[in-house]
Amino acid sequence: MTATLSVDWTRCDGHGLCAALLPDAIVRDEWGFPIVRAGAVDASDEADVRRVVAACPALALHLEQR
Amino acid sequence: MTTLLDAPVDTSAWTIGPPRLLAGLDRAERLDAAAHLATHGPLPGSDLRLLLGHLDAARLTGRGGAGFPLAAKLRALTGGARRVVVNGTESEPTSRKDRTLLRRTPHLVLDGALAVAHATGAREVAVAVHDERSAESVRAAAAERPDGRQVRVHLTAGGFVSGEARAVVRALDGGPALPPGRRTPPTATGTLVSNVETFAQLALLLRLGPRRFADTGTHAEPGTALLTIGGAVARPGVVEIPLGTPLGIVLAAAGAPVLPQAVVVGGYHGSWLAPLPQLRLGREGVAAAGGTFGAGVVLVLDGATCALGELATVTGWLAAESAGQCGPCRFGLSALAADVAALAAGRPAVAAAFGHARTVDGRGACSHPSGAARFVTSGLHLLQDEADQHLAYGGCGRPVLGQLPVGGAR
Ligand code: SF4
Ligand code: SF4
Repeated sequence: MTATLSVDWTRCDGHGLCAALLPDAIVRDEWGFPIVRAGAVDASDEADVRRVVAACPALALHLEQR
Repeated sequence: MTTLLDAPVDTSAWTIGPPRLLAGLDRAERLDAAAHLATHGPLPGSDLRLLLGHLDAARLTGRGGAGFPLAAKLRALTGGARRVVVNGTESEPTSRKDRTLLRRTPHLVLDGALAVAHATGAREVAVAVHDERSAESVRAAAAERPDGRQVRVHLTAGGFVSGEARAVVRALDGGPALPPGRRTPPTATGTLVSNVETFAQLALLLRLGPRRFADTGTHAEPGTALLTIGGAVARPGVVEIPLGTPLGIVLAAAGAPVLPQAVVVGGYHGSWLAPLPQLRLGREGVAAAGGTFGAGVVLVLDGATCALGELATVTGWLAAESAGQCGPCRFGLSALAADVAALAAGRPAVAAAFGHARTVDGRGACSHPSGAARFVTSGLHLLQDEADQHLAYGGCGRPVLGQLPVGGAR
Protein backbone atom coordinates (compact mmCIF):
# COMPACT_ATOMS: atom_id res chain seq x y z
CA MET A 1 0.00 0.00 0.00
CA THR A 2 1.18 3.48 -0.82
CA ALA A 3 -0.86 5.91 1.15
CA THR A 4 -0.58 9.49 2.17
CA LEU A 5 -2.29 11.69 4.69
CA SER A 6 -3.75 14.77 3.10
CA VAL A 7 -4.65 17.80 5.15
CA ASP A 8 -7.63 19.96 4.29
CA TRP A 9 -5.91 23.25 5.04
CA THR A 10 -9.18 25.17 5.06
CA ARG A 11 -10.20 23.10 8.12
CA CYS A 12 -7.00 22.44 10.06
CA ASP A 13 -6.64 24.70 13.08
CA GLY A 14 -3.08 23.71 13.89
CA HIS A 15 -3.53 22.64 17.49
CA GLY A 16 -1.41 19.60 16.78
CA LEU A 17 -3.32 16.64 18.14
CA CYS A 18 -2.25 14.62 15.09
CA ALA A 19 1.44 15.28 15.71
CA ALA A 20 1.05 14.31 19.37
CA LEU A 21 -0.62 11.00 18.43
CA LEU A 22 1.74 10.10 15.59
CA PRO A 23 5.04 11.86 16.37
CA ASP A 24 7.09 9.62 14.08
CA ALA A 25 5.09 10.59 11.02
CA ILE A 26 3.86 14.11 11.72
CA VAL A 27 5.88 17.09 12.88
CA ARG A 28 4.69 20.66 13.32
CA ASP A 29 5.85 23.83 11.59
CA GLU A 30 6.67 26.97 13.57
CA TRP A 31 2.98 27.91 13.73
CA GLY A 32 1.86 24.45 14.81
CA PHE A 33 0.49 23.22 11.49
CA PRO A 34 1.25 19.60 10.63
CA ILE A 35 3.98 18.50 8.25
CA VAL A 36 3.44 14.90 7.18
CA ARG A 37 6.86 13.39 6.58
CA ALA A 38 7.36 11.76 3.18
CA GLY A 39 6.81 8.00 3.27
CA ALA A 40 5.94 8.17 6.96
CA VAL A 41 2.41 6.90 6.53
CA ASP A 42 3.57 3.70 4.88
CA ALA A 43 6.04 3.13 7.68
CA SER A 44 3.33 3.54 10.33
CA ASP A 45 0.78 1.02 11.48
CA GLU A 46 -2.35 1.54 9.40
CA ALA A 47 -4.64 1.26 12.41
CA ASP A 48 -2.71 4.07 14.12
CA VAL A 49 -3.05 6.25 11.06
CA ARG A 50 -6.79 5.62 10.88
CA ARG A 51 -7.11 6.50 14.57
CA VAL A 52 -5.42 9.85 13.96
CA VAL A 53 -7.70 10.57 11.02
CA ALA A 54 -10.71 9.87 13.22
CA ALA A 55 -9.30 11.86 16.14
CA CYS A 56 -8.72 15.15 14.26
CA PRO A 57 -11.25 17.52 15.87
CA ALA A 58 -11.51 19.60 12.68
CA LEU A 59 -12.08 16.58 10.39
CA ALA A 60 -9.15 17.90 8.38
CA LEU A 61 -7.28 14.65 7.78
CA HIS A 62 -7.92 12.21 4.96
CA LEU A 63 -6.14 8.97 4.19
CA GLU A 64 -5.54 8.78 0.46
CA GLN A 65 -4.42 5.65 -1.33
CA ARG A 66 -2.14 6.36 -4.21
CA MET B 1 -7.82 41.78 -1.81
CA THR B 2 -8.12 43.78 -5.02
CA THR B 3 -11.71 44.42 -5.94
CA LEU B 4 -11.34 47.33 -8.33
CA LEU B 5 -13.93 47.17 -11.05
CA ASP B 6 -14.42 49.09 -14.20
CA ALA B 7 -11.24 51.17 -14.13
CA PRO B 8 -9.62 51.72 -17.53
CA VAL B 9 -7.16 49.03 -18.52
CA ASP B 10 -4.70 49.14 -21.37
CA THR B 11 -5.80 46.69 -24.04
CA SER B 12 -3.42 47.87 -26.77
CA ALA B 13 -2.14 44.93 -28.75
CA TRP B 14 0.39 44.08 -31.43
CA THR B 15 1.78 40.96 -33.05
CA ILE B 16 5.01 39.27 -34.07
CA GLY B 17 4.30 37.29 -37.22
CA PRO B 18 0.84 37.17 -38.78
CA PRO B 19 -2.01 37.84 -36.35
CA ARG B 20 -4.46 35.05 -35.61
CA LEU B 21 -6.32 35.77 -32.38
CA LEU B 22 -5.74 39.47 -32.93
CA ALA B 23 -6.65 39.43 -36.64
CA GLY B 24 -8.71 42.43 -37.62
CA LEU B 25 -7.88 44.40 -34.48
CA ASP B 26 -5.41 46.62 -36.33
CA ARG B 27 -8.38 48.09 -38.18
CA ALA B 28 -11.13 48.03 -35.57
CA GLU B 29 -11.28 48.58 -31.83
CA ARG B 30 -13.80 45.74 -31.46
CA LEU B 31 -15.09 43.09 -33.85
CA ASP B 32 -18.87 42.84 -33.77
CA ALA B 33 -20.61 39.81 -35.34
CA ALA B 34 -20.33 41.15 -38.90
CA ALA B 35 -16.69 42.19 -38.57
CA HIS B 36 -15.90 38.87 -36.87
CA LEU B 37 -17.41 36.90 -39.77
CA ALA B 38 -15.66 39.08 -42.33
CA THR B 39 -12.31 38.53 -40.56
CA HIS B 40 -12.49 34.87 -39.56
CA GLY B 41 -15.23 33.37 -41.73
CA PRO B 42 -18.00 31.09 -40.46
CA LEU B 43 -17.32 28.45 -37.81
CA PRO B 44 -17.49 24.95 -39.32
CA GLY B 45 -19.79 22.50 -37.53
CA SER B 46 -18.16 19.95 -35.22
CA ASP B 47 -18.94 17.07 -32.92
CA LEU B 48 -17.06 15.60 -29.97
CA ARG B 49 -15.00 13.19 -32.07
CA LEU B 50 -13.80 15.87 -34.45
CA LEU B 51 -13.12 18.22 -31.56
CA LEU B 52 -11.02 15.65 -29.69
CA GLY B 53 -9.14 14.69 -32.86
CA HIS B 54 -8.28 18.32 -33.59
CA LEU B 55 -7.29 19.01 -29.98
CA ASP B 56 -5.03 15.98 -29.82
CA ALA B 57 -3.37 16.81 -33.13
CA ALA B 58 -2.82 20.45 -32.17
CA ARG B 59 -1.86 19.62 -28.55
CA LEU B 60 -3.93 22.54 -27.36
CA THR B 61 -3.31 23.22 -23.68
CA GLY B 62 -5.08 25.56 -21.28
CA ARG B 63 -3.78 29.12 -21.47
CA GLY B 64 -4.69 30.22 -17.98
CA GLY B 65 -1.46 29.06 -16.37
CA ALA B 66 -1.68 25.37 -15.49
CA GLY B 67 -1.35 24.29 -19.13
CA PHE B 68 -3.54 21.20 -18.87
CA PRO B 69 -4.47 19.63 -22.26
CA LEU B 70 -8.03 20.61 -23.18
CA ALA B 71 -8.67 17.16 -24.72
CA ALA B 72 -7.88 15.49 -21.37
CA LYS B 73 -10.36 17.76 -19.61
CA LEU B 74 -13.04 16.87 -22.14
CA ARG B 75 -12.32 13.16 -21.69
CA ALA B 76 -12.61 13.54 -17.91
CA LEU B 77 -16.27 14.55 -18.33
CA THR B 78 -17.32 10.92 -18.07
CA GLY B 79 -20.71 11.74 -16.59
CA GLY B 80 -21.50 14.19 -19.40
CA ALA B 81 -21.26 17.97 -19.37
CA ARG B 82 -23.67 20.27 -17.65
CA ARG B 83 -21.93 23.55 -18.10
CA VAL B 84 -18.98 25.13 -19.88
CA VAL B 85 -17.24 27.86 -17.91
CA VAL B 86 -15.09 30.49 -19.59
CA ASN B 87 -12.72 31.72 -16.91
CA GLY B 88 -12.21 35.40 -17.72
CA THR B 89 -11.37 36.52 -14.20
CA GLU B 90 -7.72 37.12 -15.23
CA SER B 91 -6.62 37.39 -11.64
CA GLU B 92 -2.90 37.61 -12.43
CA PRO B 93 -2.52 41.33 -11.75
CA THR B 94 -0.32 42.25 -14.72
CA SER B 95 -2.08 40.07 -17.30
CA ARG B 96 -4.29 41.85 -19.86
CA LYS B 97 -4.69 39.25 -22.60
CA ASP B 98 -8.01 37.72 -21.57
CA ARG B 99 -9.73 41.07 -21.15
CA THR B 100 -8.28 42.15 -24.50
CA LEU B 101 -9.95 39.15 -26.15
CA LEU B 102 -13.26 39.58 -24.28
CA ARG B 103 -13.46 43.30 -24.94
CA ARG B 104 -12.14 43.39 -28.49
CA THR B 105 -12.91 40.04 -30.14
CA PRO B 106 -15.57 38.39 -27.95
CA HIS B 107 -17.10 36.28 -30.75
CA LEU B 108 -13.90 34.26 -31.12
CA VAL B 109 -14.14 33.28 -27.43
CA LEU B 110 -17.86 32.48 -27.69
CA ASP B 111 -17.28 30.41 -30.87
CA GLY B 112 -14.90 28.13 -28.96
CA ALA B 113 -17.03 27.87 -25.82
CA LEU B 114 -20.26 27.23 -27.73
CA ALA B 115 -18.53 24.60 -29.87
CA VAL B 116 -17.53 22.74 -26.70
CA ALA B 117 -21.05 23.11 -25.30
CA HIS B 118 -22.53 21.78 -28.53
CA ALA B 119 -20.13 18.82 -28.70
CA THR B 120 -20.61 17.80 -25.06
CA GLY B 121 -24.33 18.52 -24.78
CA ALA B 122 -23.82 21.17 -22.09
CA ARG B 123 -26.81 23.46 -21.81
CA GLU B 124 -25.08 26.51 -20.44
CA VAL B 125 -22.00 28.58 -21.20
CA ALA B 126 -21.04 30.70 -18.19
CA VAL B 127 -18.54 33.50 -18.71
CA ALA B 128 -17.01 34.55 -15.37
CA VAL B 129 -15.40 37.98 -15.30
CA HIS B 130 -14.23 40.48 -12.70
CA ASP B 131 -14.75 43.67 -14.71
CA GLU B 132 -17.77 45.48 -16.09
CA ARG B 133 -16.39 46.30 -19.54
CA SER B 134 -15.63 42.68 -20.40
CA ALA B 135 -19.06 41.65 -19.10
CA GLU B 136 -20.70 44.31 -21.27
CA SER B 137 -18.78 43.24 -24.37
CA VAL B 138 -19.70 39.57 -23.94
CA ARG B 139 -23.36 40.37 -23.26
CA ALA B 140 -23.51 42.49 -26.42
CA ALA B 141 -21.84 39.74 -28.45
CA ALA B 142 -24.18 37.05 -27.11
CA ALA B 143 -27.20 39.21 -28.02
CA GLU B 144 -25.95 39.36 -31.60
CA ARG B 145 -25.91 35.63 -32.27
CA PRO B 146 -28.67 33.02 -32.48
CA ASP B 147 -26.84 30.58 -30.17
CA GLY B 148 -26.17 33.37 -27.65
CA ARG B 149 -29.18 32.52 -25.47
CA GLN B 150 -27.10 29.78 -23.83
CA VAL B 151 -24.56 32.33 -22.65
CA ARG B 152 -24.67 33.73 -19.10
CA VAL B 153 -22.27 36.40 -17.94
CA HIS B 154 -21.29 36.34 -14.27
CA LEU B 155 -19.70 39.51 -12.98
CA THR B 156 -18.12 39.14 -9.55
CA ALA B 157 -15.48 40.98 -7.58
CA GLY B 158 -12.37 39.18 -6.48
CA GLY B 159 -8.63 39.07 -5.99
CA PHE B 160 -5.80 36.80 -7.07
CA VAL B 161 -6.93 33.45 -5.66
CA SER B 162 -10.61 33.88 -6.57
CA GLY B 163 -9.58 33.35 -10.21
CA GLU B 164 -8.58 29.76 -9.51
CA ALA B 165 -10.86 27.42 -11.49
CA ARG B 166 -12.49 25.73 -8.49
CA ALA B 167 -13.02 29.08 -6.75
CA VAL B 168 -14.71 30.40 -9.90
CA VAL B 169 -17.07 27.43 -10.02
CA ARG B 170 -17.85 27.82 -6.32
CA ALA B 171 -18.73 31.49 -6.86
CA LEU B 172 -20.95 30.60 -9.85
CA ASP B 173 -22.85 28.19 -7.61
CA GLY B 174 -23.51 30.93 -5.07
CA GLY B 175 -20.68 30.11 -2.66
CA PRO B 176 -17.66 32.18 -1.62
CA ALA B 177 -15.04 32.82 -4.34
CA LEU B 178 -12.47 30.74 -2.46
CA PRO B 179 -10.75 27.48 -3.37
CA PRO B 180 -12.47 24.51 -1.64
CA GLY B 181 -10.45 22.40 0.77
CA ARG B 182 -10.80 19.05 -0.98
CA ARG B 183 -9.25 18.64 -4.38
CA THR B 184 -12.26 17.61 -6.46
CA PRO B 185 -11.84 18.66 -10.09
CA PRO B 186 -14.81 20.58 -11.60
CA THR B 187 -15.14 17.90 -14.32
CA ALA B 188 -16.40 15.50 -11.60
CA THR B 189 -19.60 17.55 -11.43
CA GLY B 190 -19.97 17.99 -15.18
CA THR B 191 -18.35 21.40 -15.41
CA LEU B 192 -15.64 22.15 -17.93
CA VAL B 193 -13.63 25.22 -16.96
CA SER B 194 -11.00 26.74 -19.19
CA ASN B 195 -9.35 30.04 -19.84
CA VAL B 196 -10.58 32.69 -22.31
CA GLU B 197 -7.62 32.31 -24.68
CA THR B 198 -8.02 28.52 -24.78
CA PHE B 199 -11.54 28.85 -26.21
CA ALA B 200 -10.40 31.49 -28.71
CA GLN B 201 -7.56 29.20 -29.83
CA LEU B 202 -10.10 26.39 -30.27
CA ALA B 203 -12.19 28.65 -32.51
CA LEU B 204 -9.11 29.16 -34.70
CA LEU B 205 -8.29 25.46 -34.66
CA LEU B 206 -11.79 24.50 -35.86
CA ARG B 207 -11.47 26.92 -38.77
CA LEU B 208 -7.87 26.15 -39.73
CA GLY B 209 -7.73 22.42 -39.00
CA PRO B 210 -4.72 20.96 -37.16
CA ARG B 211 -2.33 21.14 -40.14
CA ARG B 212 -2.73 24.80 -40.89
CA PHE B 213 -2.96 25.53 -37.16
CA ALA B 214 0.58 24.09 -36.91
CA ASP B 215 1.95 26.32 -39.69
CA THR B 216 3.41 28.43 -36.94
CA GLY B 217 4.84 27.65 -33.51
CA THR B 218 7.00 24.63 -32.67
CA HIS B 219 6.48 20.92 -33.16
CA ALA B 220 5.71 20.35 -29.47
CA GLU B 221 3.65 23.53 -29.18
CA PRO B 222 1.95 24.47 -32.43
CA GLY B 223 0.26 27.80 -33.00
CA THR B 224 0.47 31.16 -31.32
CA ALA B 225 0.13 32.47 -27.78
CA LEU B 226 -0.71 35.78 -26.21
CA LEU B 227 1.81 37.48 -23.95
CA THR B 228 1.24 40.48 -21.77
CA ILE B 229 4.47 42.45 -21.70
CA GLY B 230 5.15 45.19 -19.19
CA GLY B 231 7.69 46.79 -16.89
CA ALA B 232 10.60 48.73 -18.41
CA VAL B 233 9.48 48.62 -22.05
CA ALA B 234 8.49 51.35 -24.51
CA ARG B 235 5.56 49.35 -25.94
CA PRO B 236 3.74 47.51 -23.16
CA GLY B 237 0.61 45.57 -24.00
CA VAL B 238 -0.68 42.29 -25.34
CA VAL B 239 1.43 40.59 -28.00
CA GLU B 240 0.56 37.59 -30.14
CA ILE B 241 3.65 35.49 -30.91
CA PRO B 242 4.35 32.19 -32.62
CA LEU B 243 5.03 29.75 -29.76
CA GLY B 244 8.78 29.31 -29.30
CA THR B 245 9.69 32.88 -30.33
CA PRO B 246 13.02 33.86 -28.71
CA LEU B 247 12.78 36.32 -25.82
CA GLY B 248 15.36 38.61 -27.49
CA ILE B 249 13.02 39.21 -30.45
CA VAL B 250 10.08 40.01 -28.20
CA LEU B 251 12.15 42.34 -26.01
CA ALA B 252 13.52 44.21 -29.03
CA ALA B 253 10.04 44.60 -30.52
CA ALA B 254 8.68 45.82 -27.19
CA GLY B 255 11.41 48.43 -26.87
CA ALA B 256 13.13 46.94 -23.83
CA PRO B 257 16.60 48.18 -22.81
CA VAL B 258 19.49 46.40 -24.55
CA LEU B 259 20.67 44.91 -21.26
CA PRO B 260 17.73 44.37 -18.91
CA GLN B 261 18.53 43.50 -15.31
CA ALA B 262 16.06 40.61 -15.17
CA VAL B 263 12.75 39.35 -16.52
CA VAL B 264 9.84 37.90 -14.61
CA VAL B 265 8.07 35.29 -16.73
CA GLY B 266 4.70 33.78 -15.82
CA GLY B 267 3.58 36.58 -13.52
CA TYR B 268 3.68 36.59 -9.74
CA HIS B 269 3.34 32.82 -9.51
CA GLY B 270 6.12 32.61 -12.07
CA SER B 271 9.88 33.03 -12.00
CA TRP B 272 12.66 35.55 -12.15
CA LEU B 273 14.94 34.63 -15.03
CA ALA B 274 18.13 36.01 -16.54
CA PRO B 275 17.11 37.86 -19.74
CA LEU B 276 18.73 35.38 -22.12
CA PRO B 277 17.84 36.41 -25.70
CA GLN B 278 17.66 32.78 -26.86
CA LEU B 279 15.07 31.74 -24.24
CA ARG B 280 12.12 30.41 -26.21
CA LEU B 281 8.75 31.68 -25.05
CA GLY B 282 6.29 28.86 -24.57
CA ARG B 283 5.72 26.22 -21.93
CA GLU B 284 8.57 24.04 -23.16
CA GLY B 285 11.20 26.73 -23.55
CA VAL B 286 10.50 28.49 -20.27
CA ALA B 287 10.45 25.16 -18.41
CA ALA B 288 13.86 24.35 -19.91
CA ALA B 289 15.13 27.63 -18.43
CA GLY B 290 13.79 26.59 -15.01
CA GLY B 291 10.64 28.72 -15.05
CA THR B 292 6.95 28.42 -15.85
CA PHE B 293 5.24 30.11 -18.81
CA GLY B 294 2.00 30.47 -16.84
CA ALA B 295 -0.47 32.84 -18.48
CA GLY B 296 2.23 34.45 -20.63
CA VAL B 297 3.16 37.50 -18.58
CA VAL B 298 6.64 38.92 -19.30
CA LEU B 299 7.84 41.80 -17.10
CA VAL B 300 11.14 43.56 -17.75
CA LEU B 301 13.34 45.17 -15.09
CA ASP B 302 16.01 47.62 -16.20
CA GLY B 303 19.12 48.68 -14.30
CA ALA B 304 17.53 51.78 -12.79
CA THR B 305 15.32 50.03 -10.27
CA CYS B 306 16.17 48.23 -7.04
CA ALA B 307 15.27 44.68 -7.99
CA LEU B 308 15.36 43.43 -4.42
CA GLY B 309 12.91 46.16 -3.47
CA GLU B 310 10.67 45.11 -6.36
CA LEU B 311 10.82 41.52 -5.09
CA ALA B 312 9.90 42.71 -1.58
CA THR B 313 6.95 44.75 -2.86
CA VAL B 314 5.47 41.83 -4.77
CA THR B 315 6.07 39.38 -1.91
CA GLY B 316 4.19 41.72 0.43
CA TRP B 317 1.37 41.88 -2.08
CA LEU B 318 1.29 38.06 -2.42
CA ALA B 319 1.00 37.75 1.37
CA ALA B 320 -1.88 40.22 1.40
CA GLU B 321 -3.62 38.24 -1.36
CA SER B 322 -3.68 35.05 0.72
CA ALA B 323 -7.32 34.27 1.31
CA GLY B 324 -6.26 33.48 4.87
CA GLN B 325 -8.24 30.28 5.13
CA CYS B 326 -5.22 27.94 5.27
CA GLY B 327 -2.79 28.29 8.19
CA PRO B 328 0.54 27.71 6.44
CA CYS B 329 -0.41 30.16 3.69
CA ARG B 330 -1.73 32.81 6.04
CA PHE B 331 1.19 32.78 8.49
CA GLY B 332 3.90 31.54 6.15
CA LEU B 333 3.46 34.14 3.42
CA SER B 334 3.50 36.97 5.97
CA ALA B 335 6.73 35.57 7.40
CA LEU B 336 8.17 35.23 3.91
CA ALA B 337 7.23 38.82 3.08
CA ALA B 338 8.88 40.02 6.29
CA ASP B 339 12.07 38.13 5.39
CA VAL B 340 12.29 39.66 1.93
CA ALA B 341 11.54 43.13 3.29
CA ALA B 342 14.34 42.67 5.83
CA LEU B 343 16.72 41.64 3.05
CA ALA B 344 15.85 44.71 1.02
CA ALA B 345 16.53 46.80 4.12
CA GLY B 346 20.00 45.27 4.39
CA ARG B 347 19.43 42.75 7.17
CA PRO B 348 20.52 39.11 6.88
CA ALA B 349 17.47 37.00 6.07
CA VAL B 350 18.34 34.87 3.03
CA ALA B 351 18.29 31.57 4.92
CA ALA B 352 15.03 32.47 6.67
CA ALA B 353 13.41 33.37 3.35
CA PHE B 354 14.45 30.09 1.70
CA GLY B 355 13.24 28.24 4.80
CA HIS B 356 9.82 29.90 4.81
CA ALA B 357 9.47 29.37 1.06
CA ARG B 358 10.03 25.65 1.65
CA THR B 359 7.57 25.64 4.54
CA VAL B 360 4.68 27.07 2.54
CA ASP B 361 5.33 25.13 -0.67
CA GLY B 362 2.44 22.78 -1.45
CA ARG B 363 0.66 23.42 1.85
CA GLY B 364 -2.64 25.09 0.98
CA ALA B 365 -5.96 24.46 -0.69
CA CYS B 366 -4.78 26.20 -3.84
CA SER B 367 -1.46 26.79 -5.58
CA HIS B 368 -0.99 30.30 -4.15
CA PRO B 369 1.66 29.35 -1.57
CA SER B 370 3.57 27.22 -4.10
CA GLY B 371 3.43 29.99 -6.68
CA ALA B 372 4.62 32.57 -4.17
CA ALA B 373 7.44 30.25 -3.07
CA ARG B 374 8.55 29.80 -6.66
CA PHE B 375 8.50 33.56 -7.26
CA VAL B 376 10.58 34.36 -4.18
CA THR B 377 13.03 31.47 -4.52
CA SER B 378 13.78 32.24 -8.17
CA GLY B 379 14.21 35.92 -7.29
CA LEU B 380 16.62 35.19 -4.47
CA HIS B 381 18.68 32.90 -6.72
CA LEU B 382 18.92 35.53 -9.43
CA LEU B 383 19.57 38.46 -7.09
CA GLN B 384 22.36 37.01 -4.92
CA ASP B 385 24.77 39.84 -5.77
CA GLU B 386 22.12 42.45 -4.95
CA ALA B 387 21.40 40.75 -1.64
CA ASP B 388 25.14 40.82 -0.78
CA GLN B 389 25.30 44.48 -1.72
CA HIS B 390 22.25 45.33 0.40
CA LEU B 391 23.76 43.45 3.32
CA ALA B 392 27.10 45.26 2.97
CA TYR B 393 25.81 48.79 2.35
CA GLY B 394 22.22 48.73 3.60
CA GLY B 395 20.90 49.09 0.05
CA CYS B 396 21.96 49.68 -3.54
CA GLY B 397 21.16 53.38 -3.81
CA ARG B 398 18.50 52.78 -6.46
CA PRO B 399 14.83 53.60 -5.97
CA VAL B 400 12.06 51.02 -6.30
CA LEU B 401 10.41 52.16 -9.54
CA GLY B 402 7.42 49.81 -9.48
CA GLN B 403 8.42 47.99 -12.66
CA LEU B 404 6.60 45.05 -11.09
CA PRO B 405 3.24 46.73 -10.46
CA VAL B 406 0.82 45.51 -7.82
CA GLY B 407 -2.88 46.26 -7.50
CA GLY B 408 -4.11 48.70 -10.11
CA ALA B 409 -6.85 48.72 -12.70
CA ARG B 410 -8.96 45.77 -13.68
S1 SF4 C 1 -5.35 17.27 14.53
FE1 SF4 C 1 -6.41 18.05 12.70
S2 SF4 C 1 -6.80 20.20 13.12
FE2 SF4 C 1 -5.28 19.50 14.61
S3 SF4 C 1 -3.29 20.03 13.66
FE3 SF4 C 1 -3.75 17.92 13.10
S4 SF4 C 1 -4.80 18.10 11.13
FE4 SF4 C 1 -4.84 20.13 12.04
S1 SF4 D 1 -3.68 28.35 0.05
FE1 SF4 D 1 -3.82 30.48 0.69
S2 SF4 D 1 -4.73 31.54 -1.02
FE2 SF4 D 1 -5.11 29.35 -1.34
S3 SF4 D 1 -7.09 28.94 -0.42
FE3 SF4 D 1 -5.60 28.58 1.19
S4 SF4 D 1 -5.38 30.53 2.26
FE4 SF4 D 1 -6.43 30.95 0.33
